[in-house]
Order: sequence, then structure tokens, then C-alpha cells
Amino acid sequence: MSWIGKSPNRKEDVRLIRGQGYFVDDKQDYGLLHLHLVRSPYAHAHIINVDVAAAEALPGVICTLTGAEVKELMPESFMELGPEPAANIQDYPMAVGKVIFQGEPVAAVVAETPALAADGGALVDVDYDMLDAVITAEQAMEDEEVLHESAGTNKTWQGVYEYGEVDAAFDEAATVVKIDRMHFHRFASTPVENNAVVAEWKRHGELDFFCNNSFVGFAQQLLAPALGVSVDQMHIKTHDIGGSFGNKISNYTQMAIAALASRKAGGRPVKWAETRTEHLLSSGHGNERTFLDTEVALDKNGVITAVRSRHIDDCGAYPRYEPLGCVIWSQVLPATYGVRNFRIDFSQAVTNKCPAVPNRGYSRMQHLWFMERIIDICAHKLDIPADEMRLRNYITEFPYTTPNGCVYDSGNYPAMLEKAKELIGWDDWKKKQADARAEGRLLGIGIGTTLDSGTNNFGQARIMNPHLPFSGNSEVATIRIDLQGSVIVTLGSGPSGQSHETTTAQVVAEELGINPDLVRVRSGFDTGWNTFVGHSGSYASQFAVTGLSAVHGACEKLKAEMRRLAAFILEASEEDLEFGIGEEGPQLSVKGTDQAVNYWYMGNLVNNDNAVLAGELGDVTLNIRHVYRPPFTVPDVERKYGNLTLTYAAQLHIAVIEIDRDFGHPRILAYAAVDDCGTVINPKIVGGQVHGATAHGIGAAIMETFQYDETGNLLTSSFSDYCPITSMNMPDVQYGSIQTPSPFSYSGAKGMGEGGGAPLHTVSAAVQDALITEGIIVTDSHHSVTSVFELLRSKDESSGVQVDKR
Amino acid sequence: MYPAPFHYHRAESLEGAISLLAELGDSARALAGGQTLLVWMKLRFDEPQHLVDVSRIPGLSEIRQQAGDEVCIGALATHAEIARSAIAEALPNVLDCGSGIADAQIRSRGTIGGALGSADPSCDWPTLLHTFDAVLTCTGPEGTRTIPVSELVEDIYTTILKPAELITEIRFKIPPENSGGAYCGFKRCAPAYPTASAGVQLTLEDDICSAIRIALGSAGLTTITSQEAEAVLQGNPLTEANIDKATEAIVAAADPVPDQRGSEDFKRAVLRTLVKRAIDIAGRRCHGEIIKGHHEYV
Repeated sequence: MSWIGKSPNRKEDVRLIRGQGYFVDDKQDYGLLHLHLVRSPYAHAHIINVDVAAAEALPGVICTLTGAEVKELMPESFMELGPEPAANIQDYPMAVGKVIFQGEPVAAVVAETPALAADGGALVDVDYDMLDAVITAEQAMEDEEVLHESAGTNKTWQGVYEYGEVDAAFDEAATVVKIDRMHFHRFASTPVENNAVVAEWKRHGELDFFCNNSFVGFAQQLLAPALGVSVDQMHIKTHDIGGSFGNKISNYTQMAIAALASRKAGGRPVKWAETRTEHLLSSGHGNERTFLDTEVALDKNGVITAVRSRHIDDCGAYPRYEPLGCVIWSQVLPATYGVRNFRIDFSQAVTNKCPAVPNRGYSRMQHLWFMERIIDICAHKLDIPADEMRLRNYITEFPYTTPNGCVYDSGNYPAMLEKAKELIGWDDWKKKQADARAEGRLLGIGIGTTLDSGTNNFGQARIMNPHLPFSGNSEVATIRIDLQGSVIVTLGSGPSGQSHETTTAQVVAEELGINPDLVRVRSGFDTGWNTFVGHSGSYASQFAVTGLSAVHGACEKLKAEMRRLAAFILEASEEDLEFGIGEEGPQLSVKGTDQAVNYWYMGNLVNNDNAVLAGELGDVTLNIRHVYRPPFTVPDVERKYGNLTLTYAAQLHIAVIEIDRDFGHPRILAYAAVDDCGTVINPKIVGGQVHGATAHGIGAAIMETFQYDETGNLLTSSFSDYCPITSMNMPDVQYGSIQTPSPFSYSGAKGMGEGGGAPLHTVSAAVQDALITEGIIVTDSHHSVTSVFELLRSKDESSGVQVDKR
Repeated sequence: MYPAPFHYHRAESLEGAISLLAELGDSARALAGGQTLLVWMKLRFDEPQHLVDVSRIPGLSEIRQQAGDEVCIGALATHAEIARSAIAEALPNVLDCGSGIADAQIRSRGTIGGALGSADPSCDWPTLLHTFDAVLTCTGPEGTRTIPVSELVEDIYTTILKPAELITEIRFKIPPENSGGAYCGFKRCAPAYPTASAGVQLTLEDDICSAIRIALGSAGLTTITSQEAEAVLQGNPLTEANIDKATEAIVAAADPVPDQRGSEDFKRAVLRTLVKRAIDIAGRRCHGEIIKGHHEYV
């Protein structure tokens, strides 16, 4: 029986649907204290004074921390990934002297209960001297108000990505389309569990964290120097995590505050559990991108030959991890299209807004949206149907090397388009659209093609900062047969809802010829298991490749040991043995005989009863640690050239949207989503992630935005105002898939889960198609009812698009 | 989010609640479902020293129809209880309103009396109750009195209720035959307050409109009504021209506050659509047509 491509019940559900999950805030402990953060109501202000006397006098309050104190306690500020001058930014987890964004912590209160900590927080008196806020990246680039004096500028990164013969392509173009300005808005993924941590800085110097960080391999490398401990002195664990979507990569700053608070409180454990308002205000937003002076060269057939443009990322108050976003988009430089000539001038700037963090579809989504807008705008301007425009431009030969050296492993975009058209009933909707237009109704049909590049080559970080000591990628799994014969697996991935326990059990069951129920996969992550490397974590659509390849490799090594051991016990040759399940459970047997040895016997022999081995097989431990490393090389930093990711899953969505003329309400009438992530390990889990990514993307496209006023005050800091998508807002999704196996992974699987922001491209395309009869060009990614209302109103204004036919 | 410290008192009777509230004065708040109050306390916008929990007072959550076709709803009836009641089955606009408030958790906690007492123009029930000309029974230290719903609210978040005075019952007449009502709200998502809402109640005899009531929610600092708009339709047929004229009159009376749910212009555009839709649904319901008209989400 093969377990690959099946959907056994999720192992995680046994506890999760019974309310037996174990999340950070579930942790209780003797002497546990609670931490409350006092946050700045202002986006940009000098801190004149922080008075904690009244808070400290409150019975039940154990201690407080201020920014100045945090600076004293930390041997150095957090490392910034970017190069100088941004590398000089003094980045502490609490504001020191100056507040850079609304919601930035300015003090912490530690008390016996969460309520007392909050009461203490209300007694902290902070004097501020307000400064003008810098709200847009374009404004920040002018450097009139410099946010970080230590950097001396708001421009934290700049680089030009140039490939091919750009100017020649423009000289030869039949048509040049110019788009003045486009903008991808700010939102995040709203994990159901907020950030949380319990830190315990033990008196003997070791530091324990029970947390929900989703990239511990990386976080530990930032925490250790900033806290003045070695990586090995920190014991970091996770268990169940209620979603991360990249957002929880960056909660190491709050982990540091909790650790310092525990140390000040004499080593008592300290819990910090974020509220939803804190999460929306200050935990991390997805990055916002502005595209300026875009020019697109096309030949006479509507095939795009070159793109040149200027892109600016707004990374909020602190760059931290974020300069990586200045490179990560180039994993998908030409999107799904065969464009060979590019010049993209890419910059990043700090603003007085919440720091940007990785967010589902991180950095590639913004660029893919940009490329899809180009396709649709050019199609409309050249009067080429949107489906035809894509078919003329899609990449069709694989593996495909992009102009910047990335290798698209496999794919079949025309087949996906065909399948999505079938699911939605394309021809029928085309007729309905013609009828609607005849009646003056605004009905649009939009296509979005996107990529979900996975298993990244960290060497791309050096394109952003050549001094970074990162490259390649890796993940770890351990597998052992314990002394009772159980199969035990531990993972380095620290999942947050991606069902790693289930898919791991499927791979192990497949390899050992047993049942997933017989495989125990430990939940969560624990540095104490020794199952981690610097890349360990759940991010960037990679577990099906990195994690499961580690599991697969570990299985192969374990099987080799088991064969040798069983051959010795059964006095048989290794070639005659087969894996399977017998009357006494999982076993190895001699083919065609009733001779067999079960796992219990083998586990006991190695761990308990080794004199029987009479000194043989001394290297067999049945305890395997395997590290998977994808075959990457370090990119050429000067040329910004190299293979940046191993696999390229693809999504193709189609939406039908009708816009209410009276007040702009965009109603989704039909929606189809087609996914290709190569060989599917578990269709139910893939389907779940496709639906989740679709919901996130539709939410982002029509509802969710972090809207700031000119003083840097966040107007959407509660669910009532941010309006994350709910089932009431979801259309029925017609879901289908194709499979183009990756030649670069052992199983043909590709990493998936982020979804590439397909609904954003698709909804923008459908809104564009609905409004094209009004002469309106869509240049923003947010289509809330209010923004569509404004679009309808603005139809007389210039769209900022010019077409130059040669 | 944790509220500032407070003392909790559970009232066992109406009299007990009133005397406790009178004794504790300004430092006390009556707690029913907590839909509004607890949120304010958790945000520390309000820091009362005492909460008097009235939610378990017996006899105040009954929903019944009594002689003279009068509907009586106890102030402690929850949104969900009302939406599930025989009244909601008989009056579809009561169902439209009650089943569209917030999400299931809030509907099972929040009460109709609390929604009225909070004097929040975004609450749904006050808008609907204006279209029924409902009357509120209120009891305080000085005894019991009745207040028409249109007189309850003085200003945003401010009622004419006296200290320690509580709303105990909401009463209105079941409209006669050939009547229909509608309540249409537009909101971004379940936990959001409506961007705007409109309630309409009318009677049609030989296509002539009478007993017309139109009210708007989230359209100003208090519930918005317009005698001018009602006069346009009263005694006249529901022609497109009349509907347009009435709609323009009430939308002109609205005074929507621009916020993150939309600009003033946008909200007027939404109101215009909702009023027309509600008049249309109410008119068709007069003829016995079964129409599902609930809150609409983005």
C-alpha cells in the first residue's frame, strides 16, 4: 500500500479537535509571572521621561523595565541584516530615547497576574515630545525627517537588477506602455494565535524559551549575541502554534524582553501573551511596495520583451529581517512569462509605521502582482483578451532558466488555465458578461497566474549584503527505533498548522512498509532534541522538499542499519529481506519464508540486550540524524545572478466580480483555484492550504488593510476595523489541481502553502475587467468597497497610463 | 486585555438592582450581556468601580405576544433569543435585524435592552424599533414610566434615563394586515458594526402607502428619521419617483460621520441603496412575498 497521495486522518487532529492542543498561553508554571508592555500612542516622538515609580509601588508588581534599562542589559543591539548605513541602526526591543512607530514598547511591567501587570502598565507615566511622522516610503526617501540618527538616512537599501539588453528591446518595441505609479498595500495574515512566549532565565545561566517563533534556527542566532549567551545556553521549544504565515519569524524581539524581565525578576518564569490589538498594531505587517515609472516593451504580437521600473519597499520602523525582501522577489523575476530583459531599480526605506515582517507570499507576491497588472493593463490597452495575452507570454519549456539564473523546475501554465476555465464555466461567463455590459452593469472576469517558489537558497541574502555568512539551505530529521520498538521521528521544522506530523508519518510509513499510525512524530520543535540547523523552521514553502527529504534520507539510513541487524539476527542475506507488517507488528522478514524479526526485538537488542550481538554491528544504533541540503551554489553577487529557489509551485485563479454602480460593492460571483505543487503527498492537506491561501488573498484584496492617518495613527487596529475575512465573506471556491512533478526533489513534490497571493492578482484583474468599460485602470491592490467607490468617482482623472505605438 | 479592578455584584431582583445602583451612584454600571460595556472596560475607556450584573434577574427576558396584538420583549432577551422567537417568525424584519447582529457569540450574549441603553447609533435594534414606534418600560427609584423609543436617546452614548433607572421591557403593536417591514444593514464582516443600515415599515392598501416609518442607523450621532421622507410616501403609491424622492429626503437628513468605514459621500451612497432596497422589500412583503433580506457583507 502506498501512502503518498492519500489523505489519512491528520495526526494533529487527535489533540486539536479535542481541545488538547498545547499552545504557549496554555503553559502554567510554579512562580509564573506575567508581563505587560506599555506602548507608545505616538508614531514618532522623543521620550522625555518614563516614570515607573507608581507601577512598582502597586502590590503584586514584581519589577518594571524601561527602554534605557533594556539597552543597559543587552550587550549589543539586534543585528540588522542590511548593509551599512542601515546596519548601524540601533535596534532594541523597546524604544530607547525615541519612538519610531505607534505601539512600540516603551516599558514593561511584570506582576503576579496578567491583570495586575495591566494595572501596573496603566500607572507608568511617559512624557513624549511629538515629532512629525513619515508615512510613505516616497516621503521617507527625501530624508527631510531622518528616523534613525545612527543610520543618517531613511534609505536602507538600494540596488539595480539588470539583465539582458533592455534599452535595445525598447528601441525595437512595437509598443511601449508606461504606467506612472502602482501600489501594493499593507496587510498581514492574522494568525489565530497571537505572539506569545514564556521565558525563564535560570540562575545558573541557562535560558529557556517556550514560544511560538516559527523560524527558531534563525531567531536563536539573533537572540544569543543580543542577550550575551551562547546558542547552546538557550533551550528553545515550541509545541502547537496557531498559524504564523511568516509573521511569527520576527517575534524574537518580544522573546528578548521576556528573557530580560525573567532575569530581573530573579529567574522566575515570565509569560507574555499578546492581545489582538497589540498584534494588529505592532507585531509586524506585510511589506508595502510602490512601483514607479514602469515601462513595458511589447512586440507586434503583444509579447512582452522588456520591463523597466523603479520599486520602493516601505519596511516600517526597523529593517530587521526585511532587507531580504529586497532580493526575495527576484526568485520570480519574470513571473510566469518569458520576458528576458529587465531593469528594476529597487529601494527600501524606513517609515513611522509598524515594522514589516515576512508575510504569506513574502516579497514575491508583490512582484507577481506587479507583473500580472502589467499583463492585464497591456492586454486591455492592446485589445488582446486577457487569456490570450497570457498564452502568448507564458513560459512553456521546463526546466527554464530565468534571466537572473533561477531555474523553474516544471510547470504547465496553459493546462492550468484550461482547467480553471473549465471549473468556472468560462464561455458561459463570457456570454453573461456581454449581456451585463449591454445592460450597463459592471461585470469583470479576471485571471491571476502566480508562483510559490520554495526551498530558498540563503545565498541570495549576499546579493543584499555581501558580508552575510548565510547560503544554501538545510533541514534535519531524526528517526529511531526505541527500546520498545516504536518508530520515533523528530523534526527541525516547528510547524504552525501545516500538518508536518501527518505527512512525515506518511513518508516513513511508505519507506518502512508500515502504517502512519505506527509512526510517532513528536509535536513541535525542541533544541534539546538536537534536531536543528541554522535554517530550521517553517517558512518559504519548503517542508515538502527540505523537511520530507530529511525524513526520507533518515529513513534510508535507518533501513540500511535495520537490514544489517535483521540479516544478522535471521542469519539471512540483506537482499532477501523485506519490510512490512506481520502478526507481531512492524517487521523485517525473509522473502518467501515465515522467518521474521519485529521492531521490538531489534530495538531491545540494540538498547537493552546487546551481548546477544556478541560484539558485532557496534556502529548500529537505530538512532539516525539526517540533514538534507539542496544542491545550491553561492550566487554571483555582482551580477545578482544564481539559482535562488529549488521548486516553483504554481497557482492559477479565475474570479468573476460584479461591481455595484451605486456604491462600489465588489461582489465575487464565482471563483476557481487551480494548484500545481508537483507530486502531492496528501491531497486533503494541500487542499486545505490552497483554500486557506485563497481566503487570505481574497481578504487582503477586498477587506484588509493597515490604514494610517497622517500622524502615523493606525486606524484599523481592531477586528471591527481591520475586518479579517470570515466565512460570511468567502465565495464558494471551485478547486482543482494538476501535477507536474519537480525533477529536483526526491518525490517530485514542490514546496507549497504560501500560495503566491493569487487572489490579489485575480481580484485586481477582475475589478480591472469590470471597470475597463468606464476607462478606469486599476493600479492599487486593495479593492475594498470604499476604494472601489473612490475609483468609480475618479474615472475622469488621468489613469497614469500612456501607450506609445511605434 | 484586562479591565481596571472593579467590584462585582449580582442582582437577584429588579428592586435589588435599582437600589444597589442608586446606592453606588456614578461609580457603578449595570451589566447585562456586556456586548458594549465589557469591550469599553477592557480598552479602559471606562473604569467603573462597581458592576451590577442584572443578567440573571428572573422574568426580564420573556418574549411574548399579548392581547391587542402587542409584542412584549423583555430587556434581557438576547439577540439570538429574539431571532429564534415566534415574533421573528411572524415579522421577518425582526429576524433580519436580530440574526445579522455581529457574530454568533455576541448574539448569544448581547441583549436588546443593552443595545438601547448604550445609545450607540451603530446598534441595530434602535433603528428597527423606530420603525415599529416601540415604547420602552423603564423602572427606577422613582417608579415605572414609559418612554417612546424616539425619545430615549439625547445624544450619542447618552440617554434620558435617570440614575439607577433600567429599561425592563420593549413593546410595540404588530402591524395590521397588508403591512411589511424590512431591515437592511451593510457591513464589512461579522465583528464589524454596520457601515450603514436602514429600516422601513409600511402598510399598502390598494397600492397606497400608509403608516410609513423609515429610520437609519450608523447615519449620524443618533438614529435618523425624517417626517419629510415619510410624508412623500404617506397616502401615495410606491412609484419609482416617490421612492427616489423619499430616499433623497431621508439621506439628506442623515449626517454620517466619516471614518475608516468610509467617507461621508460613500456612506450616503450606501444609505441611498439600503433605503431603496428596504422600501422595495417592505412593499413586496405587504403582498405576502417571502423575501430573505438580511445584512449584506462585503
